[in-house]
Amino acid sequence: MRTAKVARPWAVIAAVAVAVAACSNSSSPAASSAAGSAPVAASTQPSAAPAEKVTVNFPYLWSGPEGAALEKVIATFNSSQAAITVKGVSSPDFQKQLASMSGSNGFDISDNFGSTVGSWASKGILEPLDDYAKADGTDMSDFVPTALQSNQYQGKTYALPIAVHTLLLMYNKKMFSDAGISGPPTTMTDLQADIVKLTKVDASGNITQFGMRSPDYITLAYAFGGKWYDDKGAATPDDPGNLAALHFWVDNVVKKYGADAIKKFESGYGEYASAQNPFYTGKVAMTLDGEWQPVFIKQYAPSLDWGVVAIPYPAGQQTLAGATQLTSSMFFIPKNAPNKQAAWTFLKYLTGADAMKEFSRALGNLPARTSLLGDPVYSDLPQFNVWLDSLKSPNLRIFASLPSTAQYQKDLSDEFQLIANLTDTPEAGMAKVKANASGYSQ
Amino acid sequence: MTHRSVLRGLLFASPWIVGFAIFQLVPIIASAYFSLTNFNLFQDPQFVGLRNYQRLASDALFWKSLLNTLYLTVIGVPVSLTAALAASLALNMRVRGQSLFRLFVFLPTVVPVVAATYIWRWLLNAQYGYVNGALGAVGLGQPLWLDDPFWTKPALILMSLWVTGSAMVVFLAALQDVPETYYEAAVIDGAGPWAKFRHVTLPLISPVILFETIIAGIFTLQYFTQAFLLGQTRLNAASGGPENSLLVYGLYLFQQAFVNLNMGYASAMAWVLLFVALAGTFLLLRVSRDRVFYAGD
Amino acid sequence: MQATEAAPAPARAPNGVFPATSRLSRGRVAGSAWRYVVLAVVSALYLFPFIVVLTTSLKPADEIFKLPPSLGSDRWTLDNYRAALDAMPFGRYLFNTALISSITVVGQLLSSSIVAFSLAKIRWRGRDALLLLIVATMMLPPQVTMIPVYIAWSKLGLTGTYLPLLIPQFFGLPFFIFMLRQFFRGIPEELIDAARVEGASDFRIYRSVVLPLSRPALVALSIFAFMWAWTDFLLPLIYINDPEQYTLSIGLYSFFSEHGVEWGALMAAATLMSLPLVLLFFVGQRQFVRGIALTGIK
Repeated sequence: MRTAKVARPWAVIAAVAVAVAACSNSSSPAASSAAGSAPVAASTQPSAAPAEKVTVNFPYLWSGPEGAALEKVIATFNSSQAAITVKGVSSPDFQKQLASMSGSNGFDISDNFGSTVGSWASKGILEPLDDYAKADGTDMSDFVPTALQSNQYQGKTYALPIAVHTLLLMYNKKMFSDAGISGPPTTMTDLQADIVKLTKVDASGNITQFGMRSPDYITLAYAFGGKWYDDKGAATPDDPGNLAALHFWVDNVVKKYGADAIKKFESGYGEYASAQNPFYTGKVAMTLDGEWQPVFIKQYAPSLDWGVVAIPYPAGQQTLAGATQLTSSMFFIPKNAPNKQAAWTFLKYLTGADAMKEFSRALGNLPARTSLLGDPVYSDLPQFNVWLDSLKSPNLRIFASLPSTAQYQKDLSDEFQLIANLTDTPEAGMAKVKANASGYSQ
Repeated sequence: MTHRSVLRGLLFASPWIVGFAIFQLVPIIASAYFSLTNFNLFQDPQFVGLRNYQRLASDALFWKSLLNTLYLTVIGVPVSLTAALAASLALNMRVRGQSLFRLFVFLPTVVPVVAATYIWRWLLNAQYGYVNGALGAVGLGQPLWLDDPFWTKPALILMSLWVTGSAMVVFLAALQDVPETYYEAAVIDGAGPWAKFRHVTLPLISPVILFETIIAGIFTLQYFTQAFLLGQTRLNAASGGPENSLLVYGLYLFQQAFVNLNMGYASAMAWVLLFVALAGTFLLLRVSRDRVFYAGD
Repeated sequence: MQATEAAPAPARAPNGVFPATSRLSRGRVAGSAWRYVVLAVVSALYLFPFIVVLTTSLKPADEIFKLPPSLGSDRWTLDNYRAALDAMPFGRYLFNTALISSITVVGQLLSSSIVAFSLAKIRWRGRDALLLLIVATMMLPPQVTMIPVYIAWSKLGLTGTYLPLLIPQFFGLPFFIFMLRQFFRGIPEELIDAARVEGASDFRIYRSVVLPLSRPALVALSIFAFMWAWTDFLLPLIYINDPEQYTLSIGLYSFFSEHGVEWGALMAAATLMSLPLVLLFFVGQRQFVRGIALTGIK
């Protein structure tokens, strides 16, 4: 009788295969670094530098040329000392990052925005850094104060900033001159008029050229004197300045051209970090964007004729001039990192003056150290100084980094969509968010 | 039947029984426990009683996700099964190359879900997509599909029509099980094609239709991947699509569990889903009792 | 109704891939052209997306963004494929996915068949109750068990490995158990009884009588299990973090998270992802379809 196809040989193969699968995973950096540095990982207190070679696992959110710049910094670090090898990998995925931190084989160090510190620290996901800093005498006074503050929670430091960012109004000089506009807008009234002059609509109501790309409403609200939290840390989505900003966009742009027409036009935008960025291809004449643009434009649209100015202020309210939002990028060590001490050594290096200068220059980001703000290394970046100057404005605002921040920002972003689609009025929408906010974790 | 036979039976069934205990029974009980806690994976679970369920009741996004999923189930399942049935009828026609046509209709089901979703994301692009190109060419309106909260779920249903191949094959096999003598008897009684379909075909394949409906319904309630991928943004910040119109239940649950780290809340959501699934199946079985014709049972 | 037993069973002479239409009606071959038109239209609709993907993947960016959208192009290029392969270690992902899928198939073949044997060929009290329980669990939404299972793997320190994906495959899946049970029931009892009379143990009967006769069902199961594991997205998403270990599904998803809507390269990547299964399908069409038909009825 014929023997069965299945059974014995397959069972053996299966067993071998499963063993291979389990073993091949142990060659992954996390497992091997855990195995190779067990004596170091076991202690949670900072100790002296490890004796054996440690591998620090470093996934980061940057990709493309920015990722490449970071790899250069990593390479310099690796060759400058023999105790630690940093293994960097581009992983531009918020989801994955969080999953790794909640899993068992975590990474050692990664990056994110300062605004996440509040919620993550309150959940116990981040490793507090003050003890490490005290142990080797790290000086934190050179960091830009607002940036460092947003990396702290309940008085303890949980991350160190690498860069700060502001948004300013960028405009296409050629499109301005073609439309007969002599200069960039200074007040919101000017901005309104310019948007109308620069938006072209064809016979069937389709937009063919848009005056300004949909702005970041949080920043726009600051320009109108709004605020999102009060001094006690309660959410204030319905602040009059916020509503004024939302009304500016809804009344002057959305209602004028139609929510559908705008959505249709926006769905045709090309990829942000590419030559098809709508600002580079002349689809939009103005945009609120960050200090990394000079570097991007050099790479993707070197022949673009562009300028940048402070965000306009509401007519008659010059005291609000120069308002913008400050955000920060930071590096952190997760609670479940296998090699905390080595990660700290690398973290200190990354946020040290030399590495920060090199990295922030390569990305065209504003450095997070006050001593670097006047450094000549940034002087060959066209119009970068406008962003540098924006840091001096008294109206520089920051979105507080509290436990509720992530949830609040998500609710706001959901509601902004509804408002931009004219489904909700600004008042009704912000009232909804305020009602939700009472349920936030404090 | 003896005790010994019971032992033999259980022995051979043990892989499933052990698996059930480890991967389903214990997790279900644990999930019920977690649903009564606040748990973010990093800190110990805190017992909060029924608070998660109370919060669910007043959570607008929970209701939205439930409605989104019910929309897809109540509208999407009949639409896609009707398409599958229609396709199987067409492919049952006796023509040369019948086999080849059937192959074409079945082929899309072989494409991995992730690839298929991105392909449709491109097809449904409001400006450059071919769906709108085709609609425009015949003078019909061109909805914004994935950018328009009203059209995102119809877009999902449209996508699901492309992969009805497997239901189509099942229907085909069922159609072929219908004995020709019935059709001949109907023709003798003077029945035209529609009457033949209604009075012979439909009743005789109704058990299969019911089966496919239940399977499709269950899968749609658990829908996740396509909605997740269609709403995917750069850097994968969690998104439920324009105005959360793509936030299906499975996606909201995923967000609560793996993005907001509210494991307790997500567990409560999972239990609600279980009840909805049971209730739905029970309802379906009752409603169909008089309409499904089981020949020779 | 008794009439069903009286009617002659339709012949199933395999005609190409799909089961043939009834013997009695094959004589009346279609004459009207409109049937071809209908079928041509239906096929075109189903094939169109494939054509779109292929042509888009071979076009440069400025051709892709032409309005109105057209299939043709003035210039064709392989740049998108080069970009996609640069960004993704395709070979690595292919290997990972094949490894996981193969082990899944082995696990399911072993476990589901053994359980199905108990349900089909051993007479014991409680057998039908167990079957009911197994089928009932098919209705359990995976979300209910997903979180505690994840937490358990996390506490065991096994997230970030393939084990959470592979180990459950050795405990059988209701769908496969049910399918095999139906098939095993079709094996004549006489063969089983004959073997028992000769003193064969249960396991011997399983291995030497039932399995060899079940080739079509086992092949169908292998294909389904393979395809399902190959295209699975959720489990690799939550358990695999190291890019070296990504499967094809996660690889493509990560390509999007990095490159966003770079349509040309994305379509090229999607084509590369789909090719292995499509080719496999063309090679084994008959088994695919027969397998699905097997699951649907009764």
